[in-house]
Amino acid sequence: MASITLKNIKKNYTKDVCVIKGVDLEIKDGEFVVFVGPSGCGKSTLMRMIAGLEDITAGELYIGDTLSNDLHASKRGIAMVFQSYALYPHMSVYDNMAFALKLAGTPKPEIDQRVKKAADILQMSHLLERKPKALSGGQRQRVAIGRAIVRNPKVFLLDEPLSNLDASLRLNMRVELSKLHQELKTTMLYVTHDQVEAMTLADRIVVFNAGIIQQVGSPLEMYENPSNLFVASFLGSPKMNLFEAQLVGVEQNAAVVRLPKGITARAAVNPGSAKVGDKVTLGIRPEHIQLVDESVAGAIPAKVDLVEHLGDTVLAYVEIPGVNEIICMKLPANMTGLKFGDTVRIVFPEQHSMLFDAEGLAFKRHR
Amino acid sequence: MFKSKTLTRALVMGSQYASLILFALFTTFPLLWALSFGLSTDGSTAYFFPQGFIPHIADGEGNYNIGATFSWFERVFVEIPFSTYFKNSMIMSTASVLGTVLISVLAAYPLSRMRFFGRNFIFIAIIATMMLPSEASLVPNYITVTTLGRWANSLQAMLGSDAETWRRFVGINSYFAAIAPSLAGAFGIFLMKQAFEAVPQDLIDAARVDGATEMQILWRIMLPVTTPSIAALSIFTLVNAWNDFLWPSIIMRSKEMQPLAVGVFNDLTGPLSGSQNTLMAAIVLTVIPVLIFFSFTQRYFISGMDGAVK
Repeated sequence: MASITLKNIKKNYTKDVCVIKGVDLEIKDGEFVVFVGPSGCGKSTLMRMIAGLEDITAGELYIGDTLSNDLHASKRGIAMVFQSYALYPHMSVYDNMAFALKLAGTPKPEIDQRVKKAADILQMSHLLERKPKALSGGQRQRVAIGRAIVRNPKVFLLDEPLSNLDASLRLNMRVELSKLHQELKTTMLYVTHDQVEAMTLADRIVVFNAGIIQQVGSPLEMYENPSNLFVASFLGSPKMNLFEAQLVGVEQNAAVVRLPKGITARAAVNPGSAKVGDKVTLGIRPEHIQLVDESVAGAIPAKVDLVEHLGDTVLAYVEIPGVNEIICMKLPANMTGLKFGDTVRIVFPEQHSMLFDAEGLAFKRHR
Repeated sequence: MFKSKTLTRALVMGSQYASLILFALFTTFPLLWALSFGLSTDGSTAYFFPQGFIPHIADGEGNYNIGATFSWFERVFVEIPFSTYFKNSMIMSTASVLGTVLISVLAAYPLSRMRFFGRNFIFIAIIATMMLPSEASLVPNYITVTTLGRWANSLQAMLGSDAETWRRFVGINSYFAAIAPSLAGAFGIFLMKQAFEAVPQDLIDAARVDGATEMQILWRIMLPVTTPSIAALSIFTLVNAWNDFLWPSIIMRSKEMQPLAVGVFNDLTGPLSGSQNTLMAAIVLTVIPVLIFFSFTQRYFISGMDGAVK
């Protein structure tokens, strides 16, 4: 097991094309860290740099206490699981798992013992003689993970390992990965664009965009206190509702904003140095918007555009006359009576409303 | 409705099979004709259709009936040093296949998977050689080979030997001289480069993380997954080497060193040659090893990449 330290890591493909723009990060020993971000944000490139599959243009990479910038991939003590599985098609499952050990000159009895132990952990002892083409997608992914486990690596690198699996298998494998981490207690680095995987697996999430770390923190911390608009809109499904607004009132622990058509809302944030008249963005998560009676003061009238029944919840998409954005609301499953065209009243609870300045940075929430 | 559908399907299938059979006949008829000719008593029926495609043997009264005789095939071994030619062809073709595959693989891997200065230029230069007709290289190659022979001689003399034995390994009349010019062919390099480029990068990265060196990646990962291309290259090279006539006929002056294509042509054609039946039998015997090789390698033509990546 080992920690990973990145100091001002940069990656340029050409003089002008910079994909990683100075990353500083410390991953503790035994931690499960998930890199998350949209496609092309540089998260996989960074993982490949840690793996030794891409050169590091500038900065320092430490795995444990060893400066690993120029260390060959096989000498870094890492094992990697690829999105495409990358199994050797001409080798049996056993040989796929034993390949790295054979190259390292491990004695045969030890190879046998380690492969069988990993196969036991992943419940695939009965598949050892098969070739990859005779395996299902889930089984192939297990073999890919098994190939990583047998090496007893200091760090596991998992590059979107579940992306090619169907939804139910992905859920199962997610649980198994979580269990595996608890069992092995090895440092794990996981790249995904799926924020559900990030939220469920990670001890800490690192959100990337355009080669820059946007925020690092625990899943709940990130969900509750996103540092900027990007993180706020990236984490959460359905996405956070965002409205362009203007600051019309600044109080000690709250800000009053005005949306188009004179609608006002309050957010429990510390306005800091913000001034009345500043352009801001109001953010509220779908599960926090409340349906209320007409009699409630400050209720905003809205019209139902679409209702999706998901079984455990109902997603209602409503439109406030004069406001361009369609608002998504997550409602309890018993709200089955809503239908297209209904007029409803909604409120944005002050304590759940977030506010972002013109640069997209979040105001500190006051709770 | 049902009947017309079945009828349409039967017609479509029938026409597909008919066209395939016609195509197969079109491509194999010279061989079938040669086989029939070789199995017949003499050439009396060979130039008639369709009798020419069915072996005939003559009875004592000058009539020809359907039947076959292997006597011409036996005569081939008596009339010409077929075994010697065959041995030479085997040595030259095997060395050609092994050498071409080895050189193509070793040249194609860095061109497809490594980044270095001038990579594209080198590849284009290699491909450009495909534009030259092979005849254009005859004279330079001949001069090169004779010079190599002279150098071998001089080297041997310099080392104090009077015997001119080293010339035999690299100069005129040597296996090396016969096969060397074709070993580093642009076609093989191009074919293998394309095959290597089709291998997913993840597979190579996985091997790299597993601790494989570049050579280990090449031999233990790339080669097994590109067996269909290697099989194709082997077949092409074998057929070319086996049938190569012009260069070996220039370079192999002594009868003991000539391959089948040259030997059979020299011995069995022309005004002083034996019967045409012997020639046809020899042609059939010449083709058989290639067919056997193909039947052994064709199973490698299936994709080697199944199950590697999703």
